[in-house]
Amino acid sequence: MNISHQPARRAIIELRDIEKHYGAYHALRGVSFDIREGEFFSLLGPSGCGKTTLLRTIAGFEDLSSGTLTLDGRDMEGVPANKRPTNMVFQSYAIFPHLSVAENVGFGLRRSGKLREEKAKLVGEALEMVGLSGYDARAAHALSGGQRQRVALARALILKPRVLLLDEPLSALDKKMREQMQVELMRLQRHVGITFILVTHDQEEALIMSDRIAVMFDGSIEQLDEPEVLYRRPNSKRVAQFIGVMNFLPGEAQGLSGGRLAVDVAGLGRAEIEPGQFSPDLDHGAVSVGIRPETMSLLFEGEADRARVASGTVREVVYYGDMTYYEIVLDGLDSHVTISMKNLVDRPVLDVGARTRVTWDARALVAFAA
Amino acid sequence: MLLVSPTLIYAVALLAVPLAAILVFSFWSQDFLTVDTTPTLKNYREALTEPLYRLLLIRSILISGAVTLVTVLLAFPIAYYVSFHVPARRKSLWIFLITIPFWTSYLVRVFLWKVILGFNGVVNSGLMALGIIDDPVTFILYNANAVVITLAHAFAPFAILPIFVALEKIDRSLLEASRDLGEGHVVTFLRVTLPLAMPGVVAAVLIVFIPTVGDYVTPELVGGPGGTMIANMIQTQFLKINNAPMGAALAVIAMAVVTVIALAFVWLNRRWLGVRQ
Amino acid sequence: MKGRGLRIYALAYLVFLYAPIALLPLFAFNESTIIAFPLKGFTTHWFAELSTIEALHGAVWTSLSIAVTSALLATVLGICAARAATRYRFPFKPGIMGLIMLPLVLPEIIVAVSLLVVVVQLFGLNLSRWTVIAAHTLICTPFCIAILNSSFGNLDASLEEAAVDLGETPASTFRLITLPLVMPGIISSLLISFTISLDEFIIAFFLTGTEPTLPVYIWGLLRFPQRLPVVMALGTILVALSICLLVVAEYFRRRGVARAGQEDHGGFL
Repeated sequence: MNISHQPARRAIIELRDIEKHYGAYHALRGVSFDIREGEFFSLLGPSGCGKTTLLRTIAGFEDLSSGTLTLDGRDMEGVPANKRPTNMVFQSYAIFPHLSVAENVGFGLRRSGKLREEKAKLVGEALEMVGLSGYDARAAHALSGGQRQRVALARALILKPRVLLLDEPLSALDKKMREQMQVELMRLQRHVGITFILVTHDQEEALIMSDRIAVMFDGSIEQLDEPEVLYRRPNSKRVAQFIGVMNFLPGEAQGLSGGRLAVDVAGLGRAEIEPGQFSPDLDHGAVSVGIRPETMSLLFEGEADRARVASGTVREVVYYGDMTYYEIVLDGLDSHVTISMKNLVDRPVLDVGARTRVTWDARALVAFAA
Repeated sequence: MLLVSPTLIYAVALLAVPLAAILVFSFWSQDFLTVDTTPTLKNYREALTEPLYRLLLIRSILISGAVTLVTVLLAFPIAYYVSFHVPARRKSLWIFLITIPFWTSYLVRVFLWKVILGFNGVVNSGLMALGIIDDPVTFILYNANAVVITLAHAFAPFAILPIFVALEKIDRSLLEASRDLGEGHVVTFLRVTLPLAMPGVVAAVLIVFIPTVGDYVTPELVGGPGGTMIANMIQTQFLKINNAPMGAALAVIAMAVVTVIALAFVWLNRRWLGVRQ
Repeated sequence: MKGRGLRIYALAYLVFLYAPIALLPLFAFNESTIIAFPLKGFTTHWFAELSTIEALHGAVWTSLSIAVTSALLATVLGICAARAATRYRFPFKPGIMGLIMLPLVLPEIIVAVSLLVVVVQLFGLNLSRWTVIAAHTLICTPFCIAILNSSFGNLDASLEEAAVDLGETPASTFRLITLPLVMPGIISSLLISFTISLDEFIIAFFLTGTEPTLPVYIWGLLRFPQRLPVVMALGTILVALSICLLVVAEYFRRRGVARAGQEDHGGFL
């Protein structure tokens, strides 16, 4: 997780009430937020949520139906893509197949009015930056997926854009390569200091790389926060389910006490939910209480009793090597909760059907409207 | 929309308008050089009652049908061979070899069939030299057989290509799945390959049948009196006896019949085989 | 084993396909004036005679000018339609594309007589090489579209967006990115429509004015048995030229495929 506590920087992009219609299809619904200078910002959401459309409106490939988009304080209305200080890394990389690597990287310099030697120097520097020195003369179609990605990055960064737009840049790579490129992209962003806007459907990728994440559903922003906040205090069940795994238990809110919300949680008993982890309009009545698998744990033989303990039966065991995920049916409940346990050397892996005791950290509970 | 419009305007002006014109024209009549524009069904009545016209139309359709059957039956194994037995990098060479003859002069090719099939042509002199026959055989020139052979040759690539494309699209693992589920080569072919190739076969049938009905050169050169087809009559009406409205009526009837047969064929295929284009 | 049987059949089929063309040079270089076996002796006389026929030269020039003009027009129309069909959505698209592609399956005699009716009877215009050009453009356009569709279809839309993103205008993007990438398709489209027009007989037969095209001229020659060896010689040259053109077209098509970094799967159309 890239938890940074930078001082609030000034906004480089301001989106206000952005609407986009394609015929009867409503792609963006009143999107308003700021993107700050120099941050690594992610647009995260399932496919069809409007995140790519939003990125393409920033790039200038799509017109707005209504609303304003300013970049560096300048209204972008009517400014075509080739006149905007943004550059894009495309999902397919869009490497020009008839040009060499150097010609691809130097493509944007054609109109710069720079001398040939100057351009060559910039191309060399850009290739070095992405670790492709010496590939200048290579034909574009002779590159591997990871190399194409680097060429696309070098090509987009050579113009020193104010904002770099990345449209699912890692989705075409295999898992190992993707993990490697995630680290490289973060390093590169810190190095060049340019604002990066990443579109992704991969929550893990967004959590790893971003300073801030906007989670989108059905054309609007559901939550915009730093990764840790987003993970710990999702403000809706949809966000909680989209980012990581969360167990939901039915509960009954019983009013506020000292800023905390008192809830009677099925299977877990009475609990008090921390401020900021429930919506202010919750007070009395049915709620849904969420808890992450890693904030619950099984109590193994010999481990001391804690204050909060419930009993249950193991329904399923999924062994991952470093972790084991258990599905536990708590006594008195029909549904199960998922609990993840680190696999320590002296800790046994339970069998299906075993009886076990469960404990949890009450500070991790989150309440949603039922 | 703006981009397609030049092409569209061109197609409307030079295709839709003339087709409409010929339809209108077929309801007129002509006496030597004067055209009478009073609408009349006279041409159609004549076209449908006059035995010669009826004979030519029926013969055109039968010959085209035979050509289509022969061409597609001969073409399928070739398409199958190239798609399934030729290594991937040699496929385009084979397709290239198959298409070359199609691009060489049609007139000259048709004429050469006349040479091959003629009284003292290649086939007869060859067979006589081998002692298989004593006198030249005559059933292969100046009749419907000659037309069928020549057209089957001329339209070969039109039949092979769509079938080849359909066969290429078949996921090879489907065939393996069928074998895996216990079917033999032949049954796999009948239950998997053939149904999946049917869209290509349907396309091949249409693309051969429709133009051959209207072919003019082949019947004229190798057909003889027993092999003339409707197109020859249309040409005669227009250019020789100056009865353009009659020619137009024949053209409209031919088009209508071809369209009905083509649609019926497609419909039957959808109905019985569930083929979708 | 099964493959071998098919292979023999395939080779026999190729013999069937090439038999007429293979005979052509035999008779072209044959001394006898009768086109039949057995062959007499070797001669290049018929080829020499070609150079002396004035009418033939006129027909060749007429055909060449018609073929070049039709190829250019058909390719330009093809580019417009293929670009529109692959990149944009517009109302009545299937109907419009269907009409444009219709000449592909329409018997040529229908195209010929319907245009004849319009030109002569409706407008009272004289037949000229322009009427033939108009008709040839019409029948060549669907072939051009078929070829260009795959060229434009293989072109990733984000390539053009990338160029615009890097500061190029739509016009310079077309010149720097689109055109080089579809150029192989354009060249094969030109070559193929040129070949179709050069070889087309029926429409030219109906629509040609006082200047016959080459196939119409050959048609005339076929009626005179003593001129047939000359036709054979002419045919040999035409076939050789067609094959050369096709090899060039195929070369460009393959280069286009290689450029787009794809695997080669098929031939023309």
